[in-house]
Amino acid sequence: MSSALQTILHLLWTFSQLSVLGFGGGKGIIPQMHSDAVTRYGWITSEQFTQFYTIGKLVPGPTTIFAALVGYAATPTRPLVGAAAATIGIFVPSSMIMVAFDSLWVRFETSPWRAIISRGLGPAIVGLVWSSVITIGRGAPKSLIAYVVTAAVIVLMLRVKVSAPALILASGVVGVVALR
Amino acid sequence: MGQCRMSAEPVRPSLPSIALTFATISSTAFGGGQKASIRQQVLSRNWMDADRFMDGLEIAQVLPGPNILNLALYCGQRVRGIPGAVAAFLGASLPPFIIVLIAGALYFKFASNPFVQGALRGCSAGALGLTVGNALELSWDERRDWIKILLLVVTALAVSLLRMPLLLVLVMFGGIGIVYEYLRSKSRTT
Repeated sequence: MSSALQTILHLLWTFSQLSVLGFGGGKGIIPQMHSDAVTRYGWITSEQFTQFYTIGKLVPGPTTIFAALVGYAATPTRPLVGAAAATIGIFVPSSMIMVAFDSLWVRFETSPWRAIISRGLGPAIVGLVWSSVITIGRGAPKSLIAYVVTAAVIVLMLRVKVSAPALILASGVVGVVALR
Repeated sequence: MGQCRMSAEPVRPSLPSIALTFATISSTAFGGGQKASIRQQVLSRNWMDADRFMDGLEIAQVLPGPNILNLALYCGQRVRGIPGAVAAFLGASLPPFIIVLIAGALYFKFASNPFVQGALRGCSAGALGLTVGNALELSWDERRDWIKILLLVVTALAVSLLRMPLLLVLVMFGGIGIVYEYLRSKSRTT
């Protein structure tokens, strides 16, 4: 088996697992995705992981679309095939579950279980988001100016409610000037 | 048209129009704004009523997968069955895929340019800030219950320090959370 084909199968399998475990809108899968893509398979570096995640936040649509960039980088000889494999992996399995469960859930329309499951998973998902902070922080620049940018974004997001893409673009402008 | 919505029969849109509706939303709207856009489109086109839509939003948030994609699948499936879900999937996922590929191609072409590197570092620092802000917001929602706070701290430590795999985290800490929530709901009703 050629190594490109092997990588494509690994991409499909890795991202399919993440897809099925992507509760909470996929917010919790970042640490596992990092340990698969960076530590286990070495497809990309920590810095690239953080930058791809950033691009995912910058473009319209779900953030997890940055899986396509991981696939792109993982298969230098067939980048488009790698990108497609990762995207199919991350989107298709969860979509099949959604379609299959839809007819089932309707029958339990008044069931309290829906609220119990989503509220019960809450703390674990939030804990995973805090771990994502550490994961993303590992590939973020380490300098005083970068820390100031991060702190400013936190305040602007929570206090002034500036939109996410606007904040990332503004951070990029600061970076061009001060983080070269 | 909005006024007679209550009495009107739900319409049965064509598959291309389902795909096009979600393609427009997925290529122009960001984050939370997408849910509002989907709601506005689906209700104004009379594909379903507001109650049906809210049901879908709830299911979309409980099940794995991006909320917006799940919501699009739900709407597509409601109006045209499985073919409608496929049309909604293509509409909701293809434009972001193409856009991110263009961004990726530019990234790999220009990432070594010092100006682009500076911009990427700045953007990374900004995205880290957004993630922290998101974690703070979500933690704030759980603040009234110290057991949940404890559970989220233990989860974060288990993942970051012990490198606990995601499946185990969800089964263990997600499981504890669900059992706790179940016991709480029982004690409320009795």
